[in-house]
Amino acid sequence: MSHVLLLAKEEWRFWLRSNLALSAAILFLVLLVTTAILTTVRIAEERHAREHHQEKAESTFLAQPDRHPHRMVHYGHYVFRTPSPLAAFDPGLDSVTGQSMFLEGHQQNSATFAVSGASADLGEFAWLTPAVVYQLFAPLLIILLGHGAVVRERESSTLATMLAQGISGVTVLYGKALALFAAILLMLVPLLVSGGAAVGRGETVLAAILMVAVYFLYLSIWGLLALFLSVLSARRATALATLTALWLALTLLLPSLAVSNAARFLPIAGQIETGLVMLSDLRKLGDGHNVNDPAFDRLRRDLLKQYGVETVEELPVNLRGVVAEYSESRLTDKLNEYADRRMAMEQKQAALLARHGWLSPLLATADASRAIAATDLNNHQRFLKEAEALRFDFVQGLNRLHASKLAYIDDIKRSSDQQAEKRTRVSGENWKLLKDFRFKPDDVGTRAGNAWPSVLALLVWFAVLSIASVRAAGRIRL
Amino acid sequence: MLSNRLRLQAEELRVIRGGKEVLKGITFAVAIGEVYGLLGGNGAGKSTTLLTFLGFLDLAGGNARVNDALVSEDVVAARRSIAYLPESASLYEHLNARENLRYFLGLAGSAGDDESMEAALDRVALPAEARDRRLADYSKGMRQKVAIALAILRNTDTLLLDEPTSGLDPTAIDEFHDLVRTLADDGKTVLMVTHDVYGACQVADRIGLLRDGRLVGEFSAPAGGRIDTEAVHRAFSSREAV
Amino acid sequence: MSGFAPVFREAGLLKRDRAFIGWVVLTLLLSVVSVVGGIAEVSKQRETIARLIEGDREDRLEARAKQGDWGGAAYYSFHLTYDPPSNFAFAALGTRDQEPWKHRIRMLALEGQIYERDAGNPVLALTGRFDFAFFAAFVLPLVLIAVLHDLQASERGAGRHELLIATSGISSSPWRLRAWLKAGAVFIAAALPLLVGCIVSGTSMTRSLMAPAILCGYLAFWSFVSYRIARRERNPSVILATLLGVWVMVGVVGPAAGKLVIDHQVPVPQGADILMTQREAVNDAWDLPKEVTMDAFVARHPEWSQYAAVDRPFEWKWYYAFQQVGDQKAEPLSLAYRESRLHRDRLAGWFAWLTPPALLQRSLQRIADTDLRAHMEYEANVRLFHGQLREFYYGKLFPDAPFDTDALGGLPEFDPGMAAP
Repeated sequence: MSHVLLLAKEEWRFWLRSNLALSAAILFLVLLVTTAILTTVRIAEERHAREHHQEKAESTFLAQPDRHPHRMVHYGHYVFRTPSPLAAFDPGLDSVTGQSMFLEGHQQNSATFAVSGASADLGEFAWLTPAVVYQLFAPLLIILLGHGAVVRERESSTLATMLAQGISGVTVLYGKALALFAAILLMLVPLLVSGGAAVGRGETVLAAILMVAVYFLYLSIWGLLALFLSVLSARRATALATLTALWLALTLLLPSLAVSNAARFLPIAGQIETGLVMLSDLRKLGDGHNVNDPAFDRLRRDLLKQYGVETVEELPVNLRGVVAEYSESRLTDKLNEYADRRMAMEQKQAALLARHGWLSPLLATADASRAIAATDLNNHQRFLKEAEALRFDFVQGLNRLHASKLAYIDDIKRSSDQQAEKRTRVSGENWKLLKDFRFKPDDVGTRAGNAWPSVLALLVWFAVLSIASVRAAGRIRL
Repeated sequence: MLSNRLRLQAEELRVIRGGKEVLKGITFAVAIGEVYGLLGGNGAGKSTTLLTFLGFLDLAGGNARVNDALVSEDVVAARRSIAYLPESASLYEHLNARENLRYFLGLAGSAGDDESMEAALDRVALPAEARDRRLADYSKGMRQKVAIALAILRNTDTLLLDEPTSGLDPTAIDEFHDLVRTLADDGKTVLMVTHDVYGACQVADRIGLLRDGRLVGEFSAPAGGRIDTEAVHRAFSSREAV
Repeated sequence: MSGFAPVFREAGLLKRDRAFIGWVVLTLLLSVVSVVGGIAEVSKQRETIARLIEGDREDRLEARAKQGDWGGAAYYSFHLTYDPPSNFAFAALGTRDQEPWKHRIRMLALEGQIYERDAGNPVLALTGRFDFAFFAAFVLPLVLIAVLHDLQASERGAGRHELLIATSGISSSPWRLRAWLKAGAVFIAAALPLLVGCIVSGTSMTRSLMAPAILCGYLAFWSFVSYRIARRERNPSVILATLLGVWVMVGVVGPAAGKLVIDHQVPVPQGADILMTQREAVNDAWDLPKEVTMDAFVARHPEWSQYAAVDRPFEWKWYYAFQQVGDQKAEPLSLAYRESRLHRDRLAGWFAWLTPPALLQRSLQRIADTDLRAHMEYEANVRLFHGQLREFYYGKLFPDAPFDTDALGGLPEFDPGMAAP
């Protein structure tokens, strides 16, 4: 054990005396810390702005004057998604998905105004986040530090001197690995700080720890790759070139190729295209604004029978409201059917992409990281679903008001009779039926569950590389 | 119990490197307190022979023993009992002499105290003012001296030296040979690889001549005298076995 | 050293350099993958548009069949607008992954519709596709760095450096020649699939020539940088690390900093504010005296002033008038939104001169009509078409013309090139 420590200490001394390693480490740290601060500030501002917008949207809804309830159905309501605490570290999908949504009767709108749309376009890497710095650039620093670990000693023949002192190749590997893993732990300090800050903003400690663990695993995989190739290579330049090529393949090529793959093998039709089929389906359900639509004949007959009356005017409820509620419910079922189908396809596509994590640790890490930060597809879709639930709830609440508080006679005449129109207005007090909307990220257990398949891929990478490195070191060559 | 007096034994050593048989069955032994010189031209298999005692190479046949124990059975034990001086003194360029010594002694598991370290550096005559400079600024001879100091400090019974005098100036070579003799007189066993016929004859008790992976001759020093340089030189230059 | 003899000699040497051949083959392969993927994506988008045009017409006819007045016909008919990919879009898909390039709009307030995004799976959009522009901007420099960084250092390491210089008598020429040959081979491997892609896609001559020319300049920049740094240093590891550092600086840190500064300097109105303003205006109109709405409407459309009186609680012309007024209310915000986005984009265009990868990507996207400007042109098209729709229906609604299904044949048709000068 003391040998391992001694070797590790010596490796550190070498790094500290190497201008290259030092300047790379400083560059990385500056990049990371700046990105972390900027992202944190940006997310905090967004969080504040969206909370503010949400409160404003709710208060304006409640402040609406007395009016016909169906007007409020069309008046609609806005919901905003507030970023999760760990989004300051990994904003994940938040930058490409819309963060606000308009809710109204008879349709499901999409989430609009992604942050990315309005930004200056300077290439894909201009969207630096702390997570991206860790995923893309930390491996470069690890390669720079680790590639020479063994091959450097081999090139200068100090490896022979070392082994001649009676230590085994595996001990040398352990020593170098200890040094590199200590460096990795040090590199994780900014993440620890980010995690701590997230805990301060209401994140669970477990989620922060899981996040650190995922990145430790990811960076360790790169550390092991560097050590493995360092043990095998005859020349330092070869080790560095090979590792650089691997970095290019695993972090730049494979992820974007995997995206093309997922899009090709599991294509999803656009919303407009499925919308065409859906609109035709919806028309068959009848127009809820028109009580005379033949689609509601049966509803009307049943109602008349239920209350034992002859005409709709005699009904104790407003047929228009009943029809509106009935058709909204059938329409929503249909809309949800399409939405669910689409979401399931998106999930399948995302899962296919995540499965490429067995080939590229970056994909697995990005997937797990988003899952733990609650900025993944699951949370996005849950936001859509919860917004839809809220929409359905207040629209149906208004429709029930429409059915119970308004007289049918007034309701049919309100387009032409000013007095009837006045009588169809209900008190603004009723708008209180709108529920508060605060989007909460998944609980940490669910998030861990979502991250698990990708974490498993990382664990297998880690195990395979560990075994390979130890075996290679056991048969170390001079 | 002759074998008890033997430190190093090579028995029909065969080694294949890169598909080529570089050692074709070599047998010799080095006794306690003996200085043995392995002499040969480029590619004769001298360094390869050394490396087999350190367990750096897989044997295709035969045995290498250190202190009567098979190297292949316990590599670490063999290495622990041997101090090895590689051909180009291979220490850290970015460390100074003291730091190098402390580090490699640490790896060997023998924490050298400052006093013995200074004594060893004195013994190899490394100028005191140079001891705190990084090895990157050293001449080849000075680096070699640090490496030798390390070998001395290891305080092992056996020293394996690979071309220890190549690149040294004549004075340094003389100093080095004196040092090797005093080490042998202290009871250390020295196996030394070289292509310097004169140097080998000056310092060795016995010389083995290697050619093309085979031991083609052995020369012993007469009691109290030195090996006959002329005879060795003739054998070294000729094409036949001795 | 005259004539082509040295070129052939060095080329002969390179042919036997297995690592170098490996990099060239990899480059060719990746270029093919990016081009094929791009062409597949573009043809998928074209097919989608073709299907949508068909489906859009059928849907409109079906929706219209039940309607008995102009207002209802306008309310229930959606119209497809789209931005077809250019014949060079395969090389740079650009903003088409994130910005919408198809809408179905109707005669309601446009501000409420134009920001709808028929976006794909966000998980895919986040990572981005492997198109030629990405490959050329970010991957190709790394290939060049890999093949050029140890040009001299490897010879030094092998002790051949002095020998080579002594033999050739000139200290730099074999390296320079070798560097240009290597860079040239990488360029050809990258550009060849692009040119084939251009021919297959029927790209215009200008575009087909401009793209490789820009690429050539870009690679010359990287070759020059690699060559200069490789000359100055002895240690190949230091050279490689330095070049990677340059790559990170101009490809990542520079653009990120530029984006940050530009976004900070040019604030963009919150998109949500546009929607809210428009929505509030439209909804408030229900409760306002009708004259308020109609006055605001007539101010913009004086030609309908004689029909501006609204007598009943609900009339379609009033309904569409307040939709229009809603757009008018949101107009300053919407204009500012568009203006500042274009402003940001212009600044990014200037800034990109400091960050060559971004410059290359932006240039290719410009050629491919897949940049923000092209997207804004599409948006302008949609606005123009929406205006024409309004013109058509206003002409029926205000004079209270009798409903006539045949007259609907005179509806404006969307033409993707309509706003082009």
